[in-house]
Amino acid sequence: MEYKPALPEHNDNVSHDQPVREFIILSAGITLFLLGVFWILGFCIDLAVARISPGMEAAIFASAGVPGPNAVASSDPRQVKLQSMVDALRECGGITSPLKVSLIDSNDANALAFPGGRILVLNGLLENVRSENGLAFVLAHELGHFKNRDHLRGLGRGIVLTAVAALLTGAGSEVTQLLAPTATFSQAQYSRDREELADEQALQTLACYYGHVGGATEFFEAMQARDQEILPGFGHYFSTHPEAMERIDNLHRLTEEQHLAVNAVLALPEVLDDRERQ
Amino acid sequence: MLLSNTEHIPGKRITAFYGVVSGSTVRAKHAGRDIMAGIKNIFGGELKGYTELLQESRDEAIDRMKSQAQQLGANAVVNVRFSTSSVAAGAAEIYVYGTAVSVE
Amino acid sequence: MEQLIIFAILISLGYFFGRRAEKNHYKSILEREKQWLRLPTSSSKHVMGDIRKIDHCELANGNMVVSIDYFKRVLAGLRNFFGGNVQSYETLIDRARREAVLRMKESCPDADQIINLRLETSSITKGNRKQIGSVEVLAYGTAIYFCK
Repeated sequence: MEYKPALPEHNDNVSHDQPVREFIILSAGITLFLLGVFWILGFCIDLAVARISPGMEAAIFASAGVPGPNAVASSDPRQVKLQSMVDALRECGGITSPLKVSLIDSNDANALAFPGGRILVLNGLLENVRSENGLAFVLAHELGHFKNRDHLRGLGRGIVLTAVAALLTGAGSEVTQLLAPTATFSQAQYSRDREELADEQALQTLACYYGHVGGATEFFEAMQARDQEILPGFGHYFSTHPEAMERIDNLHRLTEEQHLAVNAVLALPEVLDDRERQ
Repeated sequence: MLLSNTEHIPGKRITAFYGVVSGSTVRAKHAGRDIMAGIKNIFGGELKGYTELLQESRDEAIDRMKSQAQQLGANAVVNVRFSTSSVAAGAAEIYVYGTAVSVE
Repeated sequence: MEQLIIFAILISLGYFFGRRAEKNHYKSILEREKQWLRLPTSSSKHVMGDIRKIDHCELANGNMVVSIDYFKRVLAGLRNFFGGNVQSYETLIDRARREAVLRMKESCPDADQIINLRLETSSITKGNRKQIGSVEVLAYGTAIYFCK
């Protein structure tokens, strides 16, 4: 036999598709698939959540402690006052089960409805409201979330999406990291509708308790000034609380539509007045 | 294209040889098979999905090797050897190599 | 948000530098393969064709470790979802294998023939089993030297 040296003309051991095209097609495919799964599961969660009564919720989350080490002592006069405000607003808010308020020392200005019949109020909030009515609006807004079981929905969706992504591609894989912003996006959109609903209910609660809705937009006006400082273009899409401006407009519109009165507001109780003296 | 893992094609005479030719594929399983495999992990038994997957990959690798041999002008490949290894999480690389020859 | 930006940067770095390295490597491989066509190689156990007396023989080997770039890794991860050929790894393995064989030939430049070529592939992980960082290919065979 003789040796006939030769080289193959084309390399069959590699496929010749454009890698960039493959990347785009695969990412799009996965994103669509996961969005579809998320949407379907979100629908199922909504159905399930409607069936969890406050009593059941309290039983399930009884053992969960308040997150974070920054909660103030339960005898702190500020916490006592907040608790009494929430207890007073409860009836107008349409909630029969008891809710526990916890004040957290934090520079952020926010209030959160938490599973287990809890409301967390972050200290920074107290610096951004000027009157009792303003504070009451924020608390009533959280009561609205409770009534709509929003806090359970959010929890459910977050867990479900993470679980699905981890199940299919492994926890911490590139795909999961790639998709995290997508999840936040759809989560934000979903939350916005719930936020507006809670806003509307808070307005009703205020009208019921105080007889008028003066001071409702105080917090958002303070937040609006902040929003424009921090995220001037992207804030709109990536925040879970829609831009303050929209919410202020929405509240004004609702006030007019429902012919609600706007009267003078009550001063903030001194124990809760944390604003800096200027 | 004749293949054999012996030194010669039985019954034929080698007239020329061209060198080593090889074919390889890297295949990934998909999410569906993964989930079925996870379930099978509980009950035991043959993972038919994976068996099929690896068989298909092996067939494709052999086809690639044959086509490379054809480009060189050979009509048989002797001394064929297989090798499987995992090169990425969830993907297996199969390659097959042999000596391309002309027989008559 | 920052995560996305970092991710995009890593992917583009991986893509551009990876494509360039691959192109250059393939060019070098093709050139050298043409050169080394003069050294017959086969995977059979006997010397092919030549009936001269054998002077001596030795074991020759060549290896190469190729690492994967970020773009390919992401592509492989995505491909894991749908199944099919992982094209990004195919070029990697192909390059590594051909380079390993070339290095083996370069390690015995005066040989007349190489027989019983075998190839071994192994993956080198960095500890975390889920992330495969690099692939090593080893090519070894017996180099035959005929009597002059």
